[in-house]
Amino acid sequence: MTGIRSISRRRFLGTGALGSAAALTTRGLEQVLAAEAHRQGKHVILLWLAGGASQLETWDPKPGRPTGGPFQAISTNVPGIQISELMPRMARHLQHTAIIRSLNTKDGDHGGASRLMHLGRRDEPTVKFPDLGAIIARELGRTDSQVPDYVSFYTATEGRGTSLGQSGFLGARYNAMSLTQEQLPANLRRLEQISEIDHRARGELRDTLSDQFMRGRESAAAASQREAYQRVPGLMASEKLFDPSGEPLSMRALYGETLFGQQTLVARRLVEAGVPFVKVSRAWWDSHGQNFETHLELVSELDQVLDALLTDLQQRGLLERTLVITLSEFGRTPAINASLGRDHFATVWSCSLSGCGILGGSVYGKSDDDGNDVAESPVAAGELFATIFQAMGIDHRKEYALGARPVPLTNPGSEPIKAVLA
Amino acid sequence: MSKVVKDLQRREIFFCITRDLENHQLFAGASDGRVYRVIPECEPPVFLGMDGHRGYVTGVICARGCVISAAFDGALIWWDPVECKPLRKVPAHARWIRGLALSPDESWFASVGDDMVCRIWDTESGLLRRELTGHAPRTPQHFPSMLFAVAIAADGQQLATADKVGKINVWEVSSGAVLRSIQAETMYTWDPKQRIHSIGGVRSLCFSPDGRQLLAGGMGQVGNIDHLEGKSRMEQYDLERGDLIHAFEGELKGLVEKLVWHPQGQVIGMGGDHGGFVQIYDLSSRAIVQQEKTAAHIHDFVSNDAVSRYYAACHGRIAILE
Repeated sequence: MTGIRSISRRRFLGTGALGSAAALTTRGLEQVLAAEAHRQGKHVILLWLAGGASQLETWDPKPGRPTGGPFQAISTNVPGIQISELMPRMARHLQHTAIIRSLNTKDGDHGGASRLMHLGRRDEPTVKFPDLGAIIARELGRTDSQVPDYVSFYTATEGRGTSLGQSGFLGARYNAMSLTQEQLPANLRRLEQISEIDHRARGELRDTLSDQFMRGRESAAAASQREAYQRVPGLMASEKLFDPSGEPLSMRALYGETLFGQQTLVARRLVEAGVPFVKVSRAWWDSHGQNFETHLELVSELDQVLDALLTDLQQRGLLERTLVITLSEFGRTPAINASLGRDHFATVWSCSLSGCGILGGSVYGKSDDDGNDVAESPVAAGELFATIFQAMGIDHRKEYALGARPVPLTNPGSEPIKAVLA
Repeated sequence: MSKVVKDLQRREIFFCITRDLENHQLFAGASDGRVYRVIPECEPPVFLGMDGHRGYVTGVICARGCVISAAFDGALIWWDPVECKPLRKVPAHARWIRGLALSPDESWFASVGDDMVCRIWDTESGLLRRELTGHAPRTPQHFPSMLFAVAIAADGQQLATADKVGKINVWEVSSGAVLRSIQAETMYTWDPKQRIHSIGGVRSLCFSPDGRQLLAGGMGQVGNIDHLEGKSRMEQYDLERGDLIHAFEGELKGLVEKLVWHPQGQVIGMGGDHGGFVQIYDLSSRAIVQQEKTAAHIHDFVSNDAVSRYYAACHGRIAILE
């Protein structure tokens, strides 16, 4: 693989834009500067509901229908929009939120569906695409940043293998800092046996050797590795961001005492410090048995976490620059099985988008009366991803050059859903 | 006794069932929010739906000429069993009601719900007599708990309640005091590593005829909590000492949803996972002497006067077993 560089049809939206301002032909410099300024300081927090959360017990309730389950729908602070009664706190935040109720992603297998909803498309036999977090890190990260560009929490073991980050052809530079076992990143601290002076000297030696190795070579992998090492001092200094104990007790209580709550609080700390993309995975929603009890547990937790996060971001002035997404690999069947469970279902399901770039109080798409099929406006994974990019001020048609091949951020034909964009 | 003599298939899920002894008919609570008057002997069988609840109907009893139902809408409804019309509706619980139990003299009954309160109601007036609070609203892992089961002793002096984390409280009805607390912790599975949530809980309770023992039904520890794959479990407790006498672990998987002490001394349990089961426990030999699968998960059952026939509220059907 040769070097990956960012290009576009118009040849100016990539590589930080400013350096190639002289090449501008179809847009003026002012527009580029405005776009760049617009993108800066934006963040995404993805609440990844691994295993498949039920749309019927969250964003698309069907009370009174045979498929509706036991829970009722409640009104929200936006007239005409109802959500599950399991989300009374979230019902106060619909003015910031768009609900998409017509995802049709056609894949009901955990592994394949999870990859699809991380990448927005399928890998090709010879091409591994970057996932959403890697692209956001690439587009919104800053080379001089002292914090990671992409942080991913996934503590539960079930489903973790298919939910790991993938930087694909963007290279290791955009891999997630992945936290699975501990709340704090592993191996971030300087070893006690190594003094600060020795640590710095080792780094300088590594830089020297790396420079020598790179001389006369063109290797994306080596360049990516060198860049990763250059970020080490900043990453080591960011350790305290991962420790929520510095937060007031009232703030910790707001997010709840569960692991998901505390990790989401850390996510807010990270975006406040400048991290462009944080994924907090909450596994495992795969409720083949006792769906309603599982969702009573997990949706109640999600409701508290979403309420806390949106309130907190708003109070800090971060919500208009932070996009909060709730997303799974698929939804769950309208049919209730004999174990009072719901099974995998990708034909019509829901997700939510709150905050940055989103037209709050909007609902896009519709499922039919029993939730068996899309009744209006089906949405594929690529369209959701194009919408997310657009909300962040990123042109979804932008292309990376994979050798001689231009690769757009989303597959051709995937257009953003304008109805949910501010 | 697991022979199905009649299988009345429906699209609804039936969660509870009772017999109206005077009128020889059944009443069953269903997933469509209706209480159904069922006459299984007719051809075709009669299913007359009574509207009044919103949400799953999870408790139904016949007492003093009325049918009383409870549902996930938190309400109790008194019905005229002949006219099939509502007589009274009482907002009873702030959250979902999980079950009802009737006192031996039918003068009062108890309801349990996810507000974690057991309430005692006067059958005829519908007035609240007493509230019993003693179950934690949250699990030790900070998730909402659920109050699943309630049973009343044959003398009407004791009442037992049980929740998601396996806590069983035995109450003195006259004073509202907790006589004993038991922790049936095996029936609650918390998965801290793979899936980080829980499954299980005590789903059924039954006093011995002399009130000195209590039986609790549920499911043993579960490996994969995506499914009801724990072994069915019934625990027998000595209430004077609070000791576990014996734990019966079935070969069949799933929840023991209902337990009844048979007049001949054995105990009958029914429940299920994706399918259903019937189990007969012999307490003297500490053995499950019969366990057989049935076609559908059984949520509740009631017997005829001779205790020779059982009417089961199942997933998608009412089944009559002998």
